[in-house]
Formats: sequence, C-alpha cells, structure tokens
Amino acid sequence: MNKHVKVTDNASSDLSRRSFLVGTSATAGLALGYSAVPGLLGADQALAAPSSFDPSVWYSIGPDGLVTVTCGKADMGQHIASTMAQIVCEELGANWKDMRVQLASNDPKFNDPVLGAQITGGSWSTMMNFDAMSRAGAAGRTALTEAAAAAMGVPAGELVVRDSTISHPKSKKTMSFADIVKSGKATKTFTPDELKALKLKTPDQYRLVGVSVPQLDIPSKSNGTAKYGIDVMLPGMAYGAIVTPPVRFGATVTSVDDSGAKKVPGFIKAVTLDDKTGTTSGWVVAVANTFASAKKAAEALKISYDGGPNAKVSTESLYAEAKRLQGLADSGQYFVKDGDPNAALGTAAKTLEAEYTTNINIHAPMEPMNATAEFKGDILHIYSGNQFATRSGAIAAGAAEIDPKFVVMHQMWLGGGFGRRLDADMMVPAVQAAKAVGKPVKVIYSRENDMTMDFSRPLTYQKVKAGVDGDGKLIALSHDVVSAWPTQRWGIPDFLSPSVDKKGPLDAFTVNGSDFFYTVPNHYVRAIKNEMAHNATPSGQLRSVAPGWTFWAVESMIDEIANATGKDPAQLRISLLDGAGKNDGGAQRLRNTLLAAMGMAGYGTTKLPKGEGMGVACVSSQERATASWTACVAHVAVAPSGEVKVKKLTVATDVGMQVHPDNIRAQVEGAALWGLSLAMYEKATLKDGGIEQTNFDTYTPLRMSQVPEVAVNVIANGDKPTGVGEPAVTVIAPALGNAIFNACGARVRALPITAAAVKAAMKA
Amino acid sequence: MPNLNINGRNMSVEAANDTPLLWVIREQLQMTGTKFGCGAGLCGACTVHVNGEAVRSCQTPVSDAVGKKITTIEGLSAKSDHPLQKAWILEQVPQCGYCQSGQIMQAAALLAKNSNPTKEEVVAHMDGNLCRCMTYSRIQKAIMRAAADMRTASNAGTERRPT
Repeated sequence: MNKHVKVTDNASSDLSRRSFLVGTSATAGLALGYSAVPGLLGADQALAAPSSFDPSVWYSIGPDGLVTVTCGKADMGQHIASTMAQIVCEELGANWKDMRVQLASNDPKFNDPVLGAQITGGSWSTMMNFDAMSRAGAAGRTALTEAAAAAMGVPAGELVVRDSTISHPKSKKTMSFADIVKSGKATKTFTPDELKALKLKTPDQYRLVGVSVPQLDIPSKSNGTAKYGIDVMLPGMAYGAIVTPPVRFGATVTSVDDSGAKKVPGFIKAVTLDDKTGTTSGWVVAVANTFASAKKAAEALKISYDGGPNAKVSTESLYAEAKRLQGLADSGQYFVKDGDPNAALGTAAKTLEAEYTTNINIHAPMEPMNATAEFKGDILHIYSGNQFATRSGAIAAGAAEIDPKFVVMHQMWLGGGFGRRLDADMMVPAVQAAKAVGKPVKVIYSRENDMTMDFSRPLTYQKVKAGVDGDGKLIALSHDVVSAWPTQRWGIPDFLSPSVDKKGPLDAFTVNGSDFFYTVPNHYVRAIKNEMAHNATPSGQLRSVAPGWTFWAVESMIDEIANATGKDPAQLRISLLDGAGKNDGGAQRLRNTLLAAMGMAGYGTTKLPKGEGMGVACVSSQERATASWTACVAHVAVAPSGEVKVKKLTVATDVGMQVHPDNIRAQVEGAALWGLSLAMYEKATLKDGGIEQTNFDTYTPLRMSQVPEVAVNVIANGDKPTGVGEPAVTVIAPALGNAIFNACGARVRALPITAAAVKAAMKA
Repeated sequence: MPNLNINGRNMSVEAANDTPLLWVIREQLQMTGTKFGCGAGLCGACTVHVNGEAVRSCQTPVSDAVGKKITTIEGLSAKSDHPLQKAWILEQVPQCGYCQSGQIMQAAALLAKNSNPTKEEVVAHMDGNLCRCMTYSRIQKAIMRAAADMRTASNAGTERRPT
C-alpha cells in the first residue's frame, strides 16, 4: 500500500479562502466521494511493480529507474502533467529522460493539496501544486540518499544526487536510482510533518525549473497514439448518439416513436434520460452497435417535446431582463464597496456612464463531449476526459442512483477543456444508456449537440459610472455586473463568496477582476444574477471566466475617462496604479508589466499612419489572490468601412517564477488568440430558447489566416509561480477596443466587435 | 463487405456503403489517431489521405474509398519519423493535441507536392483545419522546418523559388 503523504497545510496564506475545501468532502448536498472500495487500486498502484519505490502518492520509481508521476490535474493541453513531473524531477534529482506521467483516478488521495478536490481550472494548478510536488520530489531524494548512504557505508551528507544517480565523490562510488530501488532498501515514507520539514532547493539551485524541457505528452500527440475519452474501446461496448431538444434547458420529452430507428441495422434501444441531477433535460440516447448506426437511429427517432418555461427566451429578452435588473436599487449583492460611490458621483465635477455587453460564447473544444460508462460488479467505471472528477463522479452516481463511492473515474487526455469539461452532463446519457442496455456504452455528442448544449459563457450586461473631480482625478466608480451565475449552478456552497453587504453568498466567478488594483476611493461592484439567463442558458466557466468580461468594461471605461479628461490612457493607468493601501505590491507589478508591453510595442514612440492606432489594457486576472500581471498593447488599422485589421498584439505578463518558459509562451499566445477570437469572431445567439449556432460554419473561432503577429514578453522575477492558461485572454478585447478608438475615434462597447458597430460609432 | 487498402494493408470491413470512412477507421479498425471533430467537413480533425489527397474522412462514404490507397496518421511513417512529426516535436506544437493528426495529414499532402511552400501557400492550404488551442503559429513554423528538412534530405537539384 502507498502511504498517503498529502500535504494539506499549504504555505500560500492568501489562498486560504479556498483552503477550507480541504477535507470537507460532503458539504454540498452532493456526496463528493469515492472511498477505498475493496479490491480497487489507485492508478499508481495498478502500475507499480511489487519492487518499485513509492516515496509519495504522487509518483513511483520502478526497478528500471523510470519515475512515473501521477497527475491529479486534468491535462487539456496546458501540459500540466509534464509540469508536475518537472517539479518532482527537480527536487528528486532524476534525469528528465527517466520521467513518465500517468493520469490519476478519482481516488481522493490524488486531490489537489490546496483545493481538497480534483478540479482543474482558474490557472491554479502550478501555483497550488508547486510546493507539494517539490516536497514529494525532495522526499524521494532524501529516502534514496539515505538508502545509498547505508549501502555505500558513507555519510548521507557527502552524497551528490544528479541525473538519477547518487555518487560519493570521495570514494567515487555511485549508485543509480534503479540500483537502489532494486536493492529494496529504499522504503522510507514521510508523514505530513516530515514533509513540511524537508529543506527544499532555493531558486539559484534549480537545474530543471526554468528550463524548457521536451513536454512528455507531445510525442504521443504527434503520432495519433495519445488516448482521449473518445478513443476508449471496451469489449462488448455499444455506442450512443444523443438527441437533444430545440430548447437549451427545461424541455421534457412527451413521446418517442422509435419505429424508424428500429429499421436501422444494429439499433439496440432508445433511452429517454431520467436525470434527477438536473444536469440535462429532454435528452434521448439512441444506442446501437456502432456510432454510425446510433447516429442514423438518432436521426430516425420521432420525438415530441414540451418546450418548458424557457421556450420563448431569446438573446433580446435576456438583455432586456438584465437591464431591468440593473435598474433596480435592491438588485444583487455587493462584491466591492469602498467609500460612498453614489455620494461621490453626485458631487463629481464630471461623470461618465456606459453599458458594456458580451454575447453568449461557446467552448467548442475540438474533441466533442463524450463519456463511456461500464457497470462491472458493484463498480461504475467512467472513462472520460474531465476537469472536475470529484463532482462529475458524483453526478455519474446520481445518474446511476448509486453511492458515489462506487464510481471510479478513469481520466483521459482532454481534447480541449477551456472550462467545458468542468461539467458532467456527458456522464448522464452514458450511465443511463449503459444501465438500460446492460453493456458498456460510449456516448459521443455530435458537434451540433456539443454546441447547442454547451454550458456557455453567459451573456453579460454591465453598467459602469465614473466620476472625476475638478482636477480630472478619478474619485468614484460604480460597476453593476448582470449575468447568469455559472459557479452557483454547481451546488457547492464552498465555491461561493460572502457578499460585502451580507445579503448572502454571491458567485465571485461572475465579478472577479472588477476588484482591480487601481486606487479609486469610492468604488462599488454589484453582482446581479440574471435568473432568466441562469435558467434558460445554464452557464459554465469559459477560459478566463469573469475577467473575460469585467476587464472589458473596466479597461474600456478607463480609456473613456482618459479621453474625457484629456489624458494619455496608459499614463492614466500608471497614475491609478499607485500601490496605495490594499493595492500595494500588485499595483506596482501591474504598472511595470504595462510599461514593459508599452516599451516592446513602441507605444507613444512609434508614429502611426492615419487609420491606425494603438490601445492598451492591463489586468490582474484571474483573481486578486491568484493574479498574474498582464498587459497588452494592440495595434490595429481601421478601414472607413469599419473593418478592423489587427496588426500586432504585444503581451507582457509577470508570472512570478517560470517552470517551463516555452510552455508559458505557448499558453500566453494561445490565450491571447482566444481573447482575439472572442473579441472579434465568436458569437452565439439564443432564439426560442435554443442556441442558433450549431457548427463551425456559424460559430467561427479564429483560423490560421486570421492570426496576427503576437509578441509575448514574460517577466519572471522569482516570486511564487502564477497561472498562465487564462489571464491573457482577458486583456485583448479592451486593448483592441481602445486601439480602435485611438485609430478612428469609434468607441465600441459590445463584444464581439463588428465592422458595422465600428462604422456606426465613427459617425456617432 | 467493402475491402479497403489502408496504410498499405488490405482489410475487409463490415459497413454499409454510406458509412463515413472516419467511423470505419476508428471503430472497426480501431485506429483512433484520426479524430471526429464536426461531422461536416468544417474543422479538418478527421483528415486522412486518399490516393495522396487530403480528404475529410467524416465526409467520405466508405464506398468511395474502395480500391484507393488510404493513409492515416498511423501509416504516415514507419516510426513516427515523418519530417512533419519530427518538426512537430522540435517546435513543441501540440497543446491538447486533438486536432494535430489532422493538421499533420493536411500538411503532409501539401509537402508531398510542394516542398518549398510560401507562408501564404501554407496558410491557404491549412485554413480549413481548426485548432481550438490556437497553436497556429507553431504549426506554420513546423511545416516550414519540415519542408526545409525534406529539401535537404532530397538533396536533388530541384528548382528553388524565392520564399
């Protein structure tokens, strides 16, 4: 048996808001569970040969000297499995070529040491696991060194560990990790206190952290051998294709006529879901012996629906409802309340007021949602790439009407996540189909299912008012954010935050970012739940979540203030980032990052031709406590038609410490292009309760021909590592909007930015 | 019962004539490197070669592929060592990796005909292949690197064009 040496007391005190999750596994009315089911092994135990050495739950060293790290995070292309191995490898002293990775099951021993659950998001993974993986690596090094010292008959303190070899320079004796493991003498395990007491390397001693080692998952992703959820094959497996109703949520099936489906060779059964978890509504699965037959059968089913309460909801009605709610004095809860913004606005020399909106956006990862379910004895096995095994296992259990402790989640590589795979809807059809036909079933969404049933980025409506005094100084800002509440939908109170005005918990994942690092004496942010949107368009966390819309509003308004007060937009930001009071530290880092981006882009020094402009934005995404400091200078050319050509995006980001510089650049560039795609090319609309866009002809993420020049500058001064997967998404839209204004005087306030809107704003 | 020539082997498969080649490859032949992305020829994740041309296997009925030479990512090279695959690793292209089989197969069809493409030719040829992780600039770099490697390897006095 492995000894469980999870570190639960993390050093990052500013993350304490979430540390209460540790050990509170059943607070949600959902039993988020899995327990030691007799006869079941964790992934690492299944792999480990009897004579291997497991210094920690996180990895195992085989008698061949290979080190297999078990990654508890979902790897959706951010190479987090490789990063975890890199951090372990640094402290362990292994050779990088000896490192391997595998993906964890949902055994709670693989829970995130800070979050106390298996959830991957928020750009949290590196920052929250760096310490635990470092200590796990150091524990192994310590144990191997002690064993080698005993075998060599020399003091442990005289040994040098490097490249999977332990040597004693004085006697020239050496032992490889393989030799030591084979000897069976390395057996030491560590208590949490012992782990905490281990002395870790200081950054100047790093040999691997900070080096762009080859990512361990890339070879298998270059020859087709990486296994994603959709690639799972089980003996005797059937396939399920789903039929989803015309309404996103709330419809019910009134009748199913399967006479046409019965004519399809290989058709087995049509299963109408009975989803007590409330994750899906009105879904039917056509099960057949191949996916092609299942799809044909699905198309042949004649299904009648009751459209339910949301059958008439549209994008227009969601906006109208958002505006109505914003206009009510008692709507929502306060996320920020500093000073008295309303009084200050009343006495301000000048006030500005603007509405900023974002449309519904769809995740659309390239691998459509899928899951394979198999009942084997008492155990329900789920094979699916998922970002939230802890909750998704509970949803699978709910769909099966069994105790969550009997659900084993087999993690796969994720063909894109972007927040979509935090959700568990795909578990429900797989589980209920498998139960109904008595065989393992792999359910695969069509792209049309995937798009119309997305847990989308919600439509948002924001109203911002600003007041400046006689000297042009910003003295007040009020900010109302109206949206569906994606995180509240999870039903896990620990993920909600108390409101400043004690009106009950709010979903901070709708307002993060609005609690910026600018010094504004009178500032409030109100989080207002759009119940209509919440019900009609169950929303999810889309790469960068709230800062993807809050900074669109804040960073656009800062520019509008600069224009109204005759200031340079970048200089205004620098003056507001004075580091006073609670903003000390963060504000200075953000200011420096902005200056770096400005310098790289030639902001204020490059003379631009007519019709071209530069705009800046700077953000503290993702959250105040987990910020990476990111700035962008966008350079655009705007044609008289309103057509915008993005010439260059210059992004600077302060990430504290870089574990893998090349990966950071890849993530920041990908995130920046996501930001561009959301800002200019992606728009979903709701009509009669249903998402109108069904495939990549009408929902159109960025393609290669639309990629502008992107320059990335990474600042790493040795602070704690921050996250890089998301923050750069959020800085692009406002930088573009501000660049367009700089180019042609047109202020756009709605995403995505269209040529028509730019042209209309030119005239205004 | 169609017979398919796939990656140099003749295989008999059991499928209705209108079954998309994609599902025959993935399910019956259990070669899962070719991916399902959109089912409508809009994303390129399912790209394979039929007689050397890059085609969308989700849009190709299996009957259309009978008697033709089909190549999937599994058959592109003997040891995952096609110049594009080597370049993909050297440039560290993939993030999630899901679209990359299709990207590599699409690019391989280009380089088989034109080992000295311009950037514009690469973009035009690759624009139908979506990458949701947005690894586009690395894909471009890797194609250019592979093309250069292929030219060096061929070492023949082929006509050079300015790039």
